[in-house]
Amino acid sequence: MSHELRTPLNSIIGFTGILLRGLAGPLNPEQLKQLGMAKNSAQHLLALINDVLDITKIEAGEFEIFKNKYDFRKSVEFIAESLNPLAQKKGLAMLFNVDPAITDVYSDKRRIEQILINLINNGIKFTDKGYVKLDCTLIGNDIEMKVTDSGIGIAPADIEHIFKPFRQIDTGISRLHEGTGLGLSICKALAKKLGGEIMVESNKNIGSKFIVTLPTGLKD
Amino acid sequence: MHYKILIIEDNEQNLYLAKFLLESYGHVVLTALTGIEGIKLAESSQPDFILLDIQLPEVNGYEILEKCKKNKQLFNTPIIVVTSYAMAGDRERCMSAGANGYIEKPINPDTFMQQIEEFLLN
Repeated sequence: MSHELRTPLNSIIGFTGILLRGLAGPLNPEQLKQLGMAKNSAQHLLALINDVLDITKIEAGEFEIFKNKYDFRKSVEFIAESLNPLAQKKGLAMLFNVDPAITDVYSDKRRIEQILINLINNGIKFTDKGYVKLDCTLIGNDIEMKVTDSGIGIAPADIEHIFKPFRQIDTGISRLHEGTGLGLSICKALAKKLGGEIMVESNKNIGSKFIVTLPTGLKD
Repeated sequence: MHYKILIIEDNEQNLYLAKFLLESYGHVVLTALTGIEGIKLAESSQPDFILLDIQLPEVNGYEILEKCKKNKQLFNTPIIVVTSYAMAGDRERCMSAGANGYIEKPINPDTFMQQIEEFLLN
């Protein structure tokens, strides 16, 4: 399934990229603008496909976890590097704090990164002023990862639904904030699969806090 | 540095894409639509490295990878898998089969060559 969906996107994203870089000849500003829009839409479609494939696998119980020992701090640095430009674009402060007691983790690096990138991305998306921060603390044998933002927050009536698939699309927010509407349900399923959980606290117009607790996988 | 590169890929659009991109950076590109054809071409032309798709007709990329690693003329030629499989475990499977790198499709034309060079250095 994955192969069939991604093969045509490879040429769509690839050729728009080649044209945008001017490798096939110069383009005028309007052509660049329209091609840029096509590229953004293709990228959005790719994100949607990836999320739908993930959720399908999770629901079918075919989802596999690949655990390895890895440097947690380094992984957070990688996340910070890749998301900083997005926050800068919106003039937001990004803060990353990792408890010095946290060193190596035995878990699925890609999936933990996926959860954190998803939550921080959401924070950036739904915050227009202020900050998005990630605090990681070691509590016993668990790491608590808190993603806090000073964004639009979530109304009490919506908070119990936000982990359900396509919730964002249901509420129509997606037209303002391009997303797949699947990110949070994937995060929740991943956290569970990794032996942990995810919780949310939020105040409308003040901000949101997502708390992910996962075992380090290392025994003392 | 300019390379001689062999691309093994059965999708003609994707083949044209990778060829155009690499040629526009001055590299010499050879192409094959099947794995067996690719191995023959690799033996006769000795490319600097091979870009290999996994989903191929007749003989798939995993088998081609194994054949190359057992081939006296090719076992030293770096092979970078470029695939849209991208399922958990595929990267591990390719790397343990002897691939020197693994790039998921869709490729990013802005960083494709850089990714390849990083794999070649390791």
